[in-house]
Amino acid sequence: MTVTIALPTGNIQGPGLALLARADLIKVTPQQLGRRLLVESGGLRLVVVRPADVPAYVEHGAADLGIVGKDQLWEAGRGQGLYELLDLRTNACRLVIAVPEKSPLQGPESWPPTLRVATKYVRATSAYMESLGQAVDLVRLHGSVELAPQVGLVDAISDLTETGNTLRENRLRIVAVIGESTTRLIANQVSLKTRAGEVQDIVRRLRGAVESAD
Amino acid sequence: MPGFRDLLPSEAEAMRAVQECVLAEMRRWGYRFVVTSTLESLDVFARGLAADQQRRLFKLTDADGALLAVVGERTIPVARLAAGQLRGAPLPLRLCYSGPVLSNDGGRFASRRESQQVGAELIGAGGPVADAEVIALAVRCLDAAGLRRYQVDVGHSEFFQGLLDGLKLGSELKAQIRSALAARDLVGLERTLAETPLRSAEHELLLRFPALRGGPEILDAAGELVRNRRSERALGELRRVFELLAAHGLGATLQIDLGAIRDFDYYTGVIFEGFGPELGRPLAQGGRYDGLLARFGRPAPATGFVVHLDLVGEVLARSDHPPALPRLDAAVAWSAPGLESALRIGSSLRRFGMRAVVDTEARSQAAARAWRDVVGARHLLYCAGAPSVTWQPAGQRARRLPAEQAVARLAGARA
Repeated sequence: MTVTIALPTGNIQGPGLALLARADLIKVTPQQLGRRLLVESGGLRLVVVRPADVPAYVEHGAADLGIVGKDQLWEAGRGQGLYELLDLRTNACRLVIAVPEKSPLQGPESWPPTLRVATKYVRATSAYMESLGQAVDLVRLHGSVELAPQVGLVDAISDLTETGNTLRENRLRIVAVIGESTTRLIANQVSLKTRAGEVQDIVRRLRGAVESAD
Repeated sequence: MPGFRDLLPSEAEAMRAVQECVLAEMRRWGYRFVVTSTLESLDVFARGLAADQQRRLFKLTDADGALLAVVGERTIPVARLAAGQLRGAPLPLRLCYSGPVLSNDGGRFASRRESQQVGAELIGAGGPVADAEVIALAVRCLDAAGLRRYQVDVGHSEFFQGLLDGLKLGSELKAQIRSALAARDLVGLERTLAETPLRSAEHELLLRFPALRGGPEILDAAGELVRNRRSERALGELRRVFELLAAHGLGATLQIDLGAIRDFDYYTGVIFEGFGPELGRPLAQGGRYDGLLARFGRPAPATGFVVHLDLVGEVLARSDHPPALPRLDAAVAWSAPGLESALRIGSSLRRFGMRAVVDTEARSQAAARAWRDVVGARHLLYCAGAPSVTWQPAGQRARRLPAEQAVARLAGARA
C-alpha cells in the first residue's frame, strides 16, 4: 500500500528530501522536484504543500505522515488525530520575543501590565503569555514583523529566528525565548494502525538516518 | 454557518438507513432505546467532562439564569438517566440512543460542530464478559452499517496507568510524561524520559507506545516486560476479553493496541476504536468508564460506545458500491377524469409496501413520461378515466390493463 508523506515547501524541503534519500526511502533532489506537487516512487508518494498546511493534510488522513516544523505544530494546536513520532533535528530555530535595542524592556519581569506584541505566531505567543500571566495586545502580521516595533505599532515582536542575524540587522534584541523548534515527523492516528508495518518501517529508517547524521 | 450543514435526500437517506440498521442490531442484543433531552444543565456535563471539553460545549441560559449546555455527547445524559429516573431498574441496564451532538471544535480547523451518533451503554456490569459483549456489539454494528473493510483495536487504559505508577519519578516528571502521552507527542516523551536516570523495560514500553499493536501474542510479550500489578491485571483482562470475543465469533477484525491513549480521567478499563482504511478518524469509539455513575449517586461499573454516523456515511459514499438513493416504485399520473382512480391506485400500491407518488396536476401521457423520469420512479401508471390504466415500466413499452391487475403486477414484480 502506498504511503503518502506531506512535505512542506520552503527551507524545510531540502533537508527533508536529504533525510528521505539517506533513509533510502525516495531519492529526489529539490531540483528534480521542481514545481511538481506530487511525486510517486517505490510505494511512497510525496505531496508538496505549504508548511502551515502539513498538519491539516496529516490530521485528515490525506497524508499518512508529514514533515513539519515544531513551530507549525504550535500554531496548529494539538488535535487528537496526530502523533508526533520523531525529531528529525533539521532547521533548528527559536521562537523569541524581541524588542528594539533602545527599548528599556528586558525579561518578562520588566514588561508593562499589557504588552503590545506583533507576530505571525498568534497561538504559540498567546499560550506563552498566558503561562506567564502577562496580558497582551496581539497584532497579527503576515510579514516584515521586524518593522512593527520600529514604527511604534507594538512594544515587541514574537518571531522565529535561526541565527539572530535578521533581528540584529533590524536593531532588535532578544528578551525571552518561547520555545525551540526543529523539524518533526508526524503521523495520522489511523495510518499508524491501518498501515502499521509500512509506517513503522519508515520511522525506523528515518530514525537511522537522523542518528547517522549526528 | 461554519461547522453546520444540511443533509440533502441522498445523504440523509443513506445516513438514516445506517442509523436504523445500527439501532436494529442494538435492539437484537436487548438494548432498549432511550431519548435524552437536547439541553442539559451544564452541571450534568461538568460531572463527566474535563475542563477543555466543557469549554467546547454550546451554552445558554434559561429565564432563571441557569446555565444550560446543548448536548455535546450522550453517555453522560444516559448515566444521569440510569442513576436518576431509572434508579429503581435492576442492573445491568442495556440502553441505546441516537441523535445529534454539538460542540465547538478545538479551534484546530474549522471542522464540523454538529455530528450524528448512535450509541449503546451497558450499565451495571463489570468485567471481561461485559467488555466483550460491548466490543462484539460494536463490531456487529459496523457490519450492520454496511462496512466491509474495517478493524477494531482493543486496548486498556490501566496498562499505561500501571506503567506510570511503576516509574520511580517525581510527580512533576510524571505529569510531563502523562501530558506528552495525552498529546501523542513521542518526541516530548523521549526527551522527558531521557532526563531520568532510570532505564527499565517499562521505559522502553512507554517509548514504543505507538507500535504496541498486534494479535493476542503481544500480550505475552508485554507480560514479560511489565513489573507492576496494575499493568499485569490489564493484560490479564485483555487476554480474557479476547478469548470471549473468539467465542462471539470474532477475531480477524480485532487487534490489540496496548498503546491506545484515550482520555485518562474518564476511561477505567478496556477501551476500543473502530477504523476504516479510507478515513483518518475513528468510526466508532468506546470503553469502560466505571467512575461516572457514582458521580450521579449510583455507583456502578459501565461500558459502552458510539458509532459516528457521519464518518460511516463518508466511508460508504467512497466505497465501490456507494449507497444510492432508493428509487420510487411507481409514479402515478392522470388526466382529469382519472384522478380518483389514480388516488386509489396510489393507496393500493402503498398498502403493498411500495413507494408510490401520485401527481398533483393533470398531464398528457408524454408529459407524464418526462415527469416519471424527474421523480425517478421505476414504473409509470397513467390513469385517463377508463377502468383500465396505461402501465409502462422504465425502458419498456406501455400496455393497457385493468387498474387492479396493474397493481398486482407491480406488487408481483417487486416481490
